Amino acid sequence: MKQLGLKWQQFRKKYNIYLVLIVLFLICSVINPNFLSITNLSNISRQLAVTTILAFGATILIIGGMLDLSAGSVLALSGVLSVSCYKSTESLLLSFLVGVAVGIFCNLINAVMVASFHTPPFIATLAMLTMARGAALLYTKGQNILQLGNYVVFGQGSIFGIPTPIIFLVLILIITWYTLRHTRFGRSMYAIGGNEETAIASGISVKKMKYIAYAINGAFVGLSGVLFMSRVNAGLPNGAVNYEFQALTAAIIGGTSFSGGIGTASGTLAGAFIVGFLDNIMNLAGVDSYVQQIVRGAIIALAVIYDIGIKNHWKPLSKVSKAAS
Amino acid sequence: MKKCLATILAGILVLALVAGCSSTPQSSSKEPAKESQASQASQAPASQAPAAQTKDTYRVAYIARAQADSFAAWLANAIRDEAAKYDNIKLDVFDGEANDEKENSLIENAITNKYDLIIVQPNNGEAQRPYVEKILQAGIFAITTNARIDNIPGSSSVDANPYEQAAVNARLALEQIPQNAKVVVLNGPSGNFHADARRESWQKEFFDKRPDVTIVGEQIANWNKDEAMKYMEDWVQSNDQIDAVISMNDNMAAGALEVVKDNPKFDNLLVYGVDGTAEALLLIKEGRMTATCMQSAYDLATLLLDTANKLLTGQEKEINVDIDNPLITKDNVDQYIEILKKAGAL
Repeated sequence: MKQLGLKWQQFRKKYNIYLVLIVLFLICSVINPNFLSITNLSNISRQLAVTTILAFGATILIIGGMLDLSAGSVLALSGVLSVSCYKSTESLLLSFLVGVAVGIFCNLINAVMVASFHTPPFIATLAMLTMARGAALLYTKGQNILQLGNYVVFGQGSIFGIPTPIIFLVLILIITWYTLRHTRFGRSMYAIGGNEETAIASGISVKKMKYIAYAINGAFVGLSGVLFMSRVNAGLPNGAVNYEFQALTAAIIGGTSFSGGIGTASGTLAGAFIVGFLDNIMNLAGVDSYVQQIVRGAIIALAVIYDIGIKNHWKPLSKVSKAAS
Repeated sequence: MKKCLATILAGILVLALVAGCSSTPQSSSKEPAKESQASQASQAPASQAPAAQTKDTYRVAYIARAQADSFAAWLANAIRDEAAKYDNIKLDVFDGEANDEKENSLIENAITNKYDLIIVQPNNGEAQRPYVEKILQAGIFAITTNARIDNIPGSSSVDANPYEQAAVNARLALEQIPQNAKVVVLNGPSGNFHADARRESWQKEFFDKRPDVTIVGEQIANWNKDEAMKYMEDWVQSNDQIDAVISMNDNMAAGALEVVKDNPKFDNLLVYGVDGTAEALLLIKEGRMTATCMQSAYDLATLLLDTANKLLTGQEKEINVDIDNPLITKDNVDQYIEILKKAGAL
């Protein structure tokens, strides 16, 4: 019996956040029957696709001890440039590549500041946040770009009945999972985030890895920009404000630790859906805007407290070594 | 040596702070010492009415409440373009970034920089009121716009009326929305003057007169298309019947329409907005959006520069004027599309 109890504890420690997700799913299904329909779940996934892809980029960076506060703004910049490219060239492929390229370019600038000049990522990406937003507004003169025509296929189309944003989401999930678990780069991220000095000492070229991390994040952000603009059928220079915080929230709830060296792709996915289910059920139930904000903040805090508590067997944190978590 | 230097520097800092704090009691305690001293100097010739002077070039400051939302950006661009037509006016535009404190600081800076005329687009009328009064006290012309600040003697204004902008839609809706209809409402940012006035107008001109209509969803979408889309998706999910979308601006209305565009169940959806954006005009032409009210930034800009010119050259002492609030529906949308095409916006 005690064996069973111990096994349950170990299981809970590892998979707690997924349990929270399942319990939340069940509660939502009971509160409102409309929640459980395929259309609704499909809606949620489509609504979450953009921020979750950003969250995967954030996860990779946070594991490596870095951060990206510029995600929302760079998303807007890549999006409007991609849309603009489509309007001039009518080429879906070219405009897609432009979006991704702009995302990578801005994040390489982040990488230069962080990896080459040792600027704290918070400051570097905060600077990029304002620069990218300013650039997007300057390029569009503050106006929305309209009449996107066929561009909407990225965010509103479907392949074999599955909406394209969901396909992109699954694709990026697989890429992130594989990169973190089965590549040298992924293992380096965990090492660098865990202890940078030790990582350097063990021969990892930290600078190169940081550049790669930001480049990957940039590709994800650029892709999100294309998805976002095509979903709203307009080039919105003001779009995606504060999306970087939604991305961070999903990553943190999913178990990624700000201290670095800890996090998983599936955890981030779970974190994103926990917030997504919450928002959705509150909208379906007609909860007031202001109350929604309060509830959202409270649930996020509770979910993380509960998760940390489970990992540390509810012992006071000072008595638990980092290794135990 | 180091300690000595530190003490001297600290002493200078304290002196500066004391000097700042002992000036105008009206100034908020957050203002840095320099600015409150400047405003004290400009307040010295108390209540000096602005007087026209003959000059070759007049310097005009336009203090926008924001440049990030598309209407405010449209207005700022239109004002710049209009000002370029006047040889005797040199215009500078400042961005209040949707922040009262920032906007107030910009007003004070403009006074210090001795502009001949300052146009203020308030973020929040009452917050900017004392600062517009300071403009007049410094002997500088003041115009408030979008939305005007009432009852400041000596100041001029050029405005659109947000209550009327919503009301023209609401009066049409009274006839068009069916009995016992279920509707959804999309609101602008909380505490925003235009958002509040338009919502109040819908309440008085429509909802109070039609108790049979039920609001099945009402949320704040902050003027944004993507936020409105998310709410509409969820509302469509949880409601069998939605007859109308009542939106406080066109961006949010367009967001709601984006969600149902391929859904035949919503072919007869009635959708109302405000602004007369290019997107809305196209949607009205296609027959998917019902009506909007034009808030022409071009008209505002034309009137603003014309008013500024008349005040600066002494033709008038005070002007208060409104732009129209035309209702745009399928019947008259073509002429407005023409206007936008001519201006290069379409």
